[in-house]
Amino acid sequence: MDVGYLQDRDQRRMREHVQSRWTEVYAPIRHLDPVLVLTALALSGIGFVAIYSAKLVALTTQGLPTTFYLSRQLMALAIGVVVMVVVAVIDYRHVRVYSPAVAVLALVLLGLVLSPLGTEINGSQRWIVLGGFQLQPSELAKLAVLITVAALLHDSDGEPGPGTVLLALLVTLVPTALVFLQPDLGTSIVFVWTTAVLFLLGGVKARYLVGLVIGGVIAVIVALQTEVIESYQLSRLTAFMDAGDASAAQTTAFQTRQSLIAVGSGQFAGKGLFEGTQTSLSYVPENHTDFIFTVIAEEFGFLGGSVVLGLLLLLVWRGLRIAILAKDTFGMLVAGGIVAILSLQVFVNVGMTIGIMPVTGIPLPFISYGGTSLIVWFGLIGLLLNIHMRRF
Amino acid sequence: MAPPSSESSSVLRLTFFAVLVIALFVSLFARLWFLQVLAGDRYVELADSNRLRTVITEAPRGAILGSDGEELVRNRPALTISADRRALLDDAGEPADEEAARVLERLAVLLELDVDEVIERLSSQRRSPFRPVPIEIDVAPEIVFAVQERRELFPGVVPETLPVREYPQGSLAAHLVGYIGEISEAELLRPDFADYRAGDLVGRTGLEQSYEADLRGTAGQRLLVVNARGDVLDVQRDRDPIQGADLVTTLDLDLQAATEELLVDGIEASRDIQRDDGQFLPSVAGSAVVLDARSGAVLSMASYPSYDPREFVGGVTHAYLAELLDEENESPLINRAIAGEYPPGSVFKPVSGAAMVEGGQITPRGTVECAPAFELGGNTFRNWNRGVNEGPMDLADALRRSCDTYFYELAFDQWLAEERQEDPDEVLIDVAERFGFGVRAGLDLPGEKAGRVPGRDWREDYWLNNRDDYCRQAELADPGTAARVAFTDLCQYGGLWRGGDAVNSSIGQGDVLSSPLQVASSYQAIANDGVRMRPHLGGRVVAPDGSLVREIEPEVIGDLGIDDQTLAVIQEGLEEVVMHPRGTGRSAFADFPLDEIPVAGKTGTAEVRPKVPYAWFVGYAPVDDPKIVVVVNVEQGGGGSQTAAPIVRNIMAHYFGVELAEEARFEAGEEILD
Repeated sequence: MDVGYLQDRDQRRMREHVQSRWTEVYAPIRHLDPVLVLTALALSGIGFVAIYSAKLVALTTQGLPTTFYLSRQLMALAIGVVVMVVVAVIDYRHVRVYSPAVAVLALVLLGLVLSPLGTEINGSQRWIVLGGFQLQPSELAKLAVLITVAALLHDSDGEPGPGTVLLALLVTLVPTALVFLQPDLGTSIVFVWTTAVLFLLGGVKARYLVGLVIGGVIAVIVALQTEVIESYQLSRLTAFMDAGDASAAQTTAFQTRQSLIAVGSGQFAGKGLFEGTQTSLSYVPENHTDFIFTVIAEEFGFLGGSVVLGLLLLLVWRGLRIAILAKDTFGMLVAGGIVAILSLQVFVNVGMTIGIMPVTGIPLPFISYGGTSLIVWFGLIGLLLNIHMRRF
Repeated sequence: MAPPSSESSSVLRLTFFAVLVIALFVSLFARLWFLQVLAGDRYVELADSNRLRTVITEAPRGAILGSDGEELVRNRPALTISADRRALLDDAGEPADEEAARVLERLAVLLELDVDEVIERLSSQRRSPFRPVPIEIDVAPEIVFAVQERRELFPGVVPETLPVREYPQGSLAAHLVGYIGEISEAELLRPDFADYRAGDLVGRTGLEQSYEADLRGTAGQRLLVVNARGDVLDVQRDRDPIQGADLVTTLDLDLQAATEELLVDGIEASRDIQRDDGQFLPSVAGSAVVLDARSGAVLSMASYPSYDPREFVGGVTHAYLAELLDEENESPLINRAIAGEYPPGSVFKPVSGAAMVEGGQITPRGTVECAPAFELGGNTFRNWNRGVNEGPMDLADALRRSCDTYFYELAFDQWLAEERQEDPDEVLIDVAERFGFGVRAGLDLPGEKAGRVPGRDWREDYWLNNRDDYCRQAELADPGTAARVAFTDLCQYGGLWRGGDAVNSSIGQGDVLSSPLQVASSYQAIANDGVRMRPHLGGRVVAPDGSLVREIEPEVIGDLGIDDQTLAVIQEGLEEVVMHPRGTGRSAFADFPLDEIPVAGKTGTAEVRPKVPYAWFVGYAPVDDPKIVVVVNVEQGGGGSQTAAPIVRNIMAHYFGVELAEEARFEAGEEILD
């Protein structure tokens, strides 16, 4: 008996030992992607330097502490890291279940922005001010669109029918319209692009994709004809094309021209930290937010710009790798969608500073000043980690 | 789980997506390489031109003074309404906002200008945006008060004082002082204006132009580092403006005023003189020059009609300028004393006399019958003193009586002698050049004319240029008419320098031209025992702190190169013109104290057909130790003895203190049309 019991217990202990070793190997915590996290942190670090340099002279002349923007951004980073950990810990498959709730929350917040509770800055109503912090719900809505559409496509199990596609379009276009009304053309383009990439990755039939592209083009033409897009937005979209003309004195063309001068004058190795004249003398407007890339390109040159683009490309690679490794369609779609948002934002933002894309208010991920953006991006990194950790 | 086929399909789709993303990144890298590495240099320049602004502070211009230090031109602070372009206009040159538009409108009403005019002046690219742009210079004090009292109505409008040219002596010496104006675009392209910038003022005529380099001073320059809003953050280089140096002229301002007054009075009074045909003398214009007989310094110089340089301060109006340029008004801008080209007439006779002696046609004391006329090839060249044979004359007598036939005969002999030479040595041209005819004297004023002493080469060139016209006229004229004969002759032989040409030149007619300054300069040489001095207006240049920058020393141009006896005989003849009871200039000096202040001179009456003759008189005094040379020319003023000599007499009377200009009256002299 005793022996039997003991024997049985020993066997169980051994079995449990083996089992625990087996489970430990597959434990999520053992499958973090350190490259992903370190790259994101490195980009934020570069962002801090660039933000500090961009506003150093302006803050000094205004008599404000030179760390005014930096301290806020550091706090956002701290929150972002917590958010990343929280998002990584909760199994992303639960997120799929709650995606309708996230979508509703995002819609409510977007509605609030347009209500009198929202705050208008530079002619756009994009923010809700909460206790000294400006919340930008469109950043949250980006996440909402991503996971709702991914969940819908996941549920159709690789064979999305017309119903799923229509529902996904509805889920995308409602927040797109709300963001468009702010007006924030750039972010609404991000929404549409995200859903388009998800359709591509989620197995939507080629003929539907072609139909949607044609429909989209017609919609844009109608929008232009009926002047749904306000003229200032249109002129911003076209101004970059004649930025090289010195006589172009309109605001957007001025921005683009000064941006080009900043980037070009950085040359190969840059002028050195705090030595950028375009940067320190405020020739490039918004150079701590949307035009942050000009600071890096002017002060660190082609080398600095390449390092930043290289790090972003590293994120893209890790994200695509996670999408391929993902255990289920939802994971693959979310990871692919995050890569889609990242690459579009990088292309539109950097493209705008070097004159190949129109000026739209899209920040450069991890680098541009802006708490909500930074927190959301760390949340998205957490989501990627989550998918990566649970790939077995 | 998805089926295997779906598995491979999703990898395919991800790969497609990955390629798309990589393409986006590659295009970013490529564009970045182009901007920063290939086109980087250009953008470095653009970045520098962005942040560095040069601000020029004009230097106050130097003053122009009379010889005794009295100011002719100086700077005066003028009340000015300026405006800040950056505050009122946007980059496109439109009002920056509604408030700016209202301010501009108020300003326009205040200055009695169109709003468009205000905006145009404000956006003038000739002005630096980093200092207020002058909208209206020299405004009434009330306008400045209006702006100062209601500052809130005029944000961006700046009342200030700017230096402008001021003329304490009014229009005195207007032709000599000249005026200044904004530099033109054409001038900016010229190498001698290399260090000028758009909007700079530059001397346009007169001493303002010829002493530009001294008067101008050195503009201050500040190199500013500015940010995007235009705030000045740093000054990289700061150089204060250096005021221009003052020019002390040789002008005796008292004599200048007297000369101008006596010239105008004389010209106007002479219009009451009736000619033989019953017409009054037109006396449309005239000029006068007074030189220091020893140094060649210009003591005074006047040209009638004149203008008011004060009209040029802050920019001349088109209407006034058109008035000044109109030939109907006798072109008042022209300084006739140096730019008027007239036949010298009989005042040229000392020159041709010296030439005949040098050419060996006669000795200074040799005599020629002063016949009533000289016949040449069917043409009759008459003496001015119609029908009277004045008997044998030497050079001195011929000058005293201004005997034309004396010169006709000798000039013809000289012409004959030259015609016999292989390569004719044209004595008159050489001698005239030594006297200063046909060449510029080098006066320090712009616009001096060289005049003309014609000869064989000139005649041939002139003919070659006009032959086609002569020949066409010959064909057009009816056969048998005088015009046909004359033009046919000109067409065929117009290049020949004939005896008649030489005869005409000998009495300063024909194609001889000279300016009053040239006449004055040649008599200065005669008075100064043959040494010709460069006429000059500049005395010395003095720095703002009073230190001497440079002295403009009297300069010898050359010697008349005639022997002492010839010069003595010429001097004697000129002296007798005034001192001898039968001298042609005597009548004008009837009540002049000639025993105390002996005067030498020469009358001249230049034929400019079909106009009334031009009156000349040139004189120097005192004969034994000449102090001044005075020349007066009156266009269509009749006889030199009649109109010009009395004006010279009055100028001399003022200079020597015999009778001041204020008391003097114009008393016409005897009408001698020599």
